[in-house]
Order: sequence, then C-alpha cells, then structure tokens
Amino acid sequence: MKAPVPFGQFYPGDSPVHRLEPRAKMGLVAAFMAMLFTVDGFAGLAAATAVAAVAVAVSSVPPRLVLRGIRAVSIILVFTLLAHGLRWNPATVTLLRVGPVALDAQGVVTGLFFVVRIVLLVVGTSLLTLTTSPVRLADGLERLMRPLEVLRFPAGEVAMMLTVALRFIPTTAEEAEKIVVAQVARGARFDTGGLLKRARAYVPVLVPLFVSLFRRADELATAMEARCYRGGAGRTRFTESRMTRADRAALLVGAAVMILVGVVL
Amino acid sequence: MNRRRTRLLLEIALTIALAAVLGMITLWRMPQGGSISLGMLPLFVLAFRRGLGPGLVAGGLYGLVDLLVDPYPPVHWIQPVLDYPVAYLLVGLSGVVAAALTPALQARMSRRVALLLAAGITLGASGRYLAHFISGMVFFGEFAPAGQPVWLYSALYNLYVPISAAACFAVAIVVVPAIAGVLPVSGEESS
Repeated sequence: MKAPVPFGQFYPGDSPVHRLEPRAKMGLVAAFMAMLFTVDGFAGLAAATAVAAVAVAVSSVPPRLVLRGIRAVSIILVFTLLAHGLRWNPATVTLLRVGPVALDAQGVVTGLFFVVRIVLLVVGTSLLTLTTSPVRLADGLERLMRPLEVLRFPAGEVAMMLTVALRFIPTTAEEAEKIVVAQVARGARFDTGGLLKRARAYVPVLVPLFVSLFRRADELATAMEARCYRGGAGRTRFTESRMTRADRAALLVGAAVMILVGVVL
Repeated sequence: MNRRRTRLLLEIALTIALAAVLGMITLWRMPQGGSISLGMLPLFVLAFRRGLGPGLVAGGLYGLVDLLVDPYPPVHWIQPVLDYPVAYLLVGLSGVVAAALTPALQARMSRRVALLLAAGITLGASGRYLAHFISGMVFFGEFAPAGQPVWLYSALYNLYVPISAAACFAVAIVVVPAIAGVLPVSGEESS
C-alpha cells in the first residue's frame, strides 16, 4: 500500500484558461452544463463540442488528461447506449437482430445523443479541475459564499476549514505512509484476507493517525490564537483573488453565447 | 472567537483531510466510481466525539473537498450535489448517538458501546445510501429509457455504501474506545 502524496487532478500551467478567475471559470462551466441540458439535437452538441475543443486547445492541457475522465464513466456510456439501442423481440424492422434481441436504429441514435452529452459533461468539468488548483477552487467558493454572511452564514470559518483541510491532505498522507511502512516493517500485512480482515489490519495505523489528528488540532489552535486569529470576521488573505475586467467579460460573453446556443439549437 | 471553537473548527478541518487520505486508500474499487474504503471512518469518529452539529458540518465540507479534489464526472446537474455534499452531510447523522456514547465509553461498557456504534454507523450510512440512491434514480431515470426498473439499478449499484459501513464498523469498534482511552471524549485534553 502506498498513500498517494500528490492529490487531485490539477495540471499546472499558465494558459489563459488557468489564469481565468475561479469564479468566472465556475460560471462558464455552469453555463456549459446548462447548454448541454438545453440542446435538443446533434447540431447543439456539435456547437458544444466546438466550445469544449477550443477551451481544451487554449488550456494547453494534454487532451489525453482531459479524456481520462471518460474511462471512469465508460460503463455508464455502454449502459446508456445499450439501454436505448437494444430491443427485446420488437415488432417493427430493426437494424440488426440476433434471436429475440434486436438493435434499433432510432434507439442507437438517441443513445448516441446521451453518450455525447455525458462525454462533453466530463470534458467540461474535468477542464475546471485540471486548470484550477483545489485551493483556488476553495477560494472561489468562499467568494461565492460571502453574500450569505448577511444570513449569518460563517463563510470565513468555512473557508478556513476548507483551506486547512486541503493544506493538510498531503501532510496526513505522508504521515499515513510513514506509519504504514513502520507497521509493515514490524510484519503487518494490508493486502491479504477478506474485506473485513483488510480493514482490521489498518487499526494499528488508524489509532496513531487519529491521536495525531486531535493533538495537531490542539497545537494549531494554540498557534492560530497566538497569531490573533479571531474567526472569519475581518480576516484578510495573503493572496486575494480578484475578478479583472477580462474575467468579467469572458464570463458574461461566454455564458450568454452558450446559453443562447443551448436555447436555439 | 474562543479557543474551544477554533479547536473544534480545526478538528473538523483535519478530520476532512484524514477522510480524504483514507478515501484514497481503496480496499476495493467499483467499476463506475465509488469504492470500498475507510473514508467515512474519520467522519464517524468526529461525529461520535463531538455530536450531531460538528458531524454534519464535517460531512458536508468533506463532500465539498472530495468534489474539489477528485470529482467523479457528473452526468446530471443535480448529481454532484447529491453525491458529494448531501451524501456526506448525512453521514454526520451518526452524531446523534454521541451523548449516549460518551458515558458508555467512560464506563467501559463494551456491549453498549458496540450497540451505539452500530446504531450511529447504520444511521449515517443509511443517510448516505439514500442520497446516492436518489442520485442514481435521477441518473438512470435521465439516461435509461422509460419503463426500466431504475430504482433497482440504483439500489444494487450503491451497495458499496453499506459494505464500506461494515468495514468502518469493524474498525471503529476497536479504534473509538482506543482513542477515548488516550484522549478523553470531551476532546479538551491538554497535550
């Protein structure tokens, strides 16, 4: 067992897509999804494919990485196509027939429409996570949540928890790996037996991890208190993400065009 | 902002980090995403120590972090919401047993502890299962032709949740009393 230290799907780069403010990017992806769910035919999907292709080309993320997500949904794609395309003992003429099972042309076309839509959804959302680091995404979310502070929603505290959580994932993974290696050196086995036996094998790893977690929370609270942390109100950021004029223009024009195309096609 | 609250927020944050790490250690992976892992365990442990409120917050935020870090590609707009923040938020329901669990742990009533852990984990896992089940119905409803038993596909597909919960219970029954022995359940020990 090896706990993976690099996490997430982020592909570092300096393309215009990478530089786009996270909120603008989230808005554009939302508009792209809205377009996919409003188009009625293949013309609309072709337009969406063109949008996705341009975005991927501009992002300079290798298309191989963008398409990796499709492998994860491959079974869903096959299921969708078969569920629409296959007919059991139909009365009408069909594309192909083997015994009672028949392949229906109209069904295959409908199935293909859904398959292309899923593939484009995967490409659109993958591009967001590939070109935006989790920390910047969390920053973007915090900015989006800020108006909720009027309703006494603790946006600042939520943002602090998200940032600390993301910051400590690699540290915790490293710690887990060290403990696993130490236990393996003492003869522990993590890859044998049934599910429950495997799960129980992790007990000697989990107890120190939990104890360390609660101790670290205590130490961090002391450290933050010593640096005058007073909660979310009035807290400033070391790097503040700002929407530039270009970000706003990209968001407004991009979203308007995509939604319009979705409604028309 | 008092120190207790800061510490609680940090416990929630670090619990999310540990849940993310344990979620990456897959005991078994399902072909359509979703995997058997101990990812829910830290959420259960926090809910047992700190109660319902912090349990729900930790769950909801973990869902958000999981969505940011390693999203399964969405196939419907409602799906990421149901499958991430809502599903994990409901894991926090296990915190309802916290008030009864703390004295049982202190009194070392192992039978009662086991029962309460089982009840809490069942409740939290059922909540998560329900969220994934509804999301599955939405998905299969969207992409499968009418007349197919969408509820059945979804019910079967999401069985990995109760299996993961069973793995979590097998571990929690040892880990929760062990942690309570080292760090008091009130979580206010000074190290």
